[in-house]
Amino acid sequence: MTVLAVVLGVVVAAGAVLLVAWPFLREPVAADDRLDAPSEGEAHWLELLDERDRVLGALKELEFDHRTGKIGDDDYGSQIGPLRRSAAAALRAIDGYRARMSAPEIPDLPTEPGPPPDEGTPPTPAPVPEPYPPPDEADIPAPAPQE
Amino acid sequence: MADLGRAALVVSLGLLVYALVGGSVAAVTNRRRLAVSARNALFCAFGSTAIAATVLAVALVRHDFSFAYVATHTNRTLSTPYALSAFWGGQEGSLLLWLLVLTGYGALAVALNRTLLRDLTVWVVPVLAGIGTFFAFVLVAVASPFDTQTAPLDGAGLTPSLQNPYMVAHPPMLYLGYVGLAIPFAFAAGAMLSGRTDERWIVATRRWTLAAWMFLGFGQLLGAHWAYVEVGWGGYYAWDPVENAALMPWLAATAFLHSVMIQERKGMLKVWNMVLVALAFELSVFGTFLTRSGVVNSIHSFAKSPIGAWFLAFVVISSLFSLALILWRLPLLKARTKLESALSREAAFLYNNLLLVALCLTILWGVLFPIITQLVKGETRTIGRPYYDFFLRAFGLPLLLLMGIGPLIAWRKTSFRTLAKTLAWPGAVTIACGIALVAFGAGSSHPGLIAYTFSAFVLSTIVLELVRGTRATGSLVALVSRNRRRYGGYVVHAAIVLLAIGIAGSSAYSSSTIRKLSPGQSMTLSGYTLTLQDVVRRQVPNATETRAILAVKGRWNGRISSGDNQYVNPPEPSREVGLKTNWLRAEDLYVIADSVNLKTKTVYVKVLVKPLVNLIWVAGFVFVLGSLIALWPDAREQRRLVTRLAPARA
Repeated sequence: MTVLAVVLGVVVAAGAVLLVAWPFLREPVAADDRLDAPSEGEAHWLELLDERDRVLGALKELEFDHRTGKIGDDDYGSQIGPLRRSAAAALRAIDGYRARMSAPEIPDLPTEPGPPPDEGTPPTPAPVPEPYPPPDEADIPAPAPQE
Repeated sequence: MADLGRAALVVSLGLLVYALVGGSVAAVTNRRRLAVSARNALFCAFGSTAIAATVLAVALVRHDFSFAYVATHTNRTLSTPYALSAFWGGQEGSLLLWLLVLTGYGALAVALNRTLLRDLTVWVVPVLAGIGTFFAFVLVAVASPFDTQTAPLDGAGLTPSLQNPYMVAHPPMLYLGYVGLAIPFAFAAGAMLSGRTDERWIVATRRWTLAAWMFLGFGQLLGAHWAYVEVGWGGYYAWDPVENAALMPWLAATAFLHSVMIQERKGMLKVWNMVLVALAFELSVFGTFLTRSGVVNSIHSFAKSPIGAWFLAFVVISSLFSLALILWRLPLLKARTKLESALSREAAFLYNNLLLVALCLTILWGVLFPIITQLVKGETRTIGRPYYDFFLRAFGLPLLLLMGIGPLIAWRKTSFRTLAKTLAWPGAVTIACGIALVAFGAGSSHPGLIAYTFSAFVLSTIVLELVRGTRATGSLVALVSRNRRRYGGYVVHAAIVLLAIGIAGSSAYSSSTIRKLSPGQSMTLSGYTLTLQDVVRRQVPNATETRAILAVKGRWNGRISSGDNQYVNPPEPSREVGLKTNWLRAEDLYVIADSVNLKTKTVYVKVLVKPLVNLIWVAGFVFVLGSLIALWPDAREQRRLVTRLAPARA
């Protein structure tokens, strides 16, 4: 074994040990050593957002499929209503959750950005009357951050 | 320097064992500093493995024959690129490449997701470390590339057939694909272990899966082209077990890439996706086992060694681990919604999945059959080409048809009337193509005719989709840029169509003939007349070249030569085919000269004319283009994900 190899080997091993031990060297006594996994509240918030995105995504897909002729007017008419109601329910659930934000266990929640990427917003809205047309998701009010 | 390489591997093994044990303890006991420490150990394992890989690469370039591996796989006549390619030309080097790519991929995937998916990555680290521990252990204890010896004057050299530019790129591509499938597997396992079985693991690993799938697919085409120009039997895919070993995980990954779209949109097929991602990973390890164990007869099994038993044990244990995880988390993997109609996009994806998995398992059975008969009856019975060709047609042609129908069906449900209306134009184009093909004589092969007409159907549906989408959005660029995944997918579909046309053309419509020729004698095939002019032999560095020189007249005029090379070091022969691509007619003239007799100047000449075969290679580039479009980062999506996943942040 060459001297260089020995030196390099020792340097590699020492460097690795230092990096691996670094979290303990930096914080020999941690005030809080628990993993910060999402709380129940955060998990529920994620579920609500997932549901909203899924329904709004399905609405946009339906609009796009209708405009490109993949779905007929009859099918479109029968599907758009339930989807819009689901979207409205998802948005109401988010609003309801936001209203309960004063609860101490609710963590910081971020502002939601625009819709998921897709073929874009339809140039002309579909002519199907519905009692609860969903608001633009960009207008969804974000929960206030916890103090 | 071999000691440095060996020490670096031992350090890697130690770090990976620590990341496995420490990471598991941290995840179970919810300890933050230990989890960060285990993650750092994974990062360091990449660093130390990179040092080991650098030591081997330097030894290969410097022809340091004190390394037994270098002496076994290279010699002094090898140029630097081929000397470097010996890194993956042998078993130990291949395993080191596996570990290097695994630790590199793993470190990058964990680093990119450590903040946003902290609750998942805390489990991903021990899973990746577990896989890495296996490879590091094999490298340290069973098949080390750093064994030393008294340096001989020269090495044994690299197998001649591996001295080909395609073979420089083919194995690393496959390894990037094989190992890349470990990332979605590790995140899926992490999702199940942590109990967070929502769609975040899919979103986080979507591009990793796509990249691995792209490398695996392109790597196979590079290998097919190598076989075509180097092995010299006139084909490009022989259903060899080792070739199948790369195809099977690719098929499973293809099914997975389609079915995850249903989970993302509908919350369905969660169990199926877990099964597919585990299947793809296990098949990738099984592929390495097949290639490296010598358990099956294959032209690609370059090595036989004791690592086979270790690999088999790893495949069994990791498969049981995956199965146990899925069974344990079944209650969390329930579908949120149900399939609304058998005539919907999601149903089409489901049919596509069933066909892909059926094809994959059929090939797996073909690969396993000789091993099973050997174990049960003590005699090896192999399954031949007709078996594979039958199932390729049985499952492949409906898949091709579905590739055209699927994009035209709406999500949720479509009526027959609407579908019939949508199919009118592509259907008319398909019928017209079918009639034209029969008129031009393509009816001589029914599978070929069906493949061509289905291909015309798929291409017309892609064009229709682009036209309608552009009309709806006003711009093709806007259409593609707003949904790169979908339209990248269509480009990949176009590549598969080119592949299907190439395969059908070169197999169903190829022609061949064989004749013994003396100088001045001729043979004719498909408009080409070949006349033997001379038979020559000459010495070149490290080889003796024997060539039959033929004059070609007809569809192309010129000279073509074919024969063999007899290498000195290693003392192995290599067939050298004569190949002329006629781009105007989209066909190859392929000449194999065999049994050359220098005394009588006679030679057996086999000539093949292979129409459209080059579309297969063109398909490879289109495939990569489509994959890159689908892979390309989307700024809007990234912003959305960062905000969406932010609650998991500290």
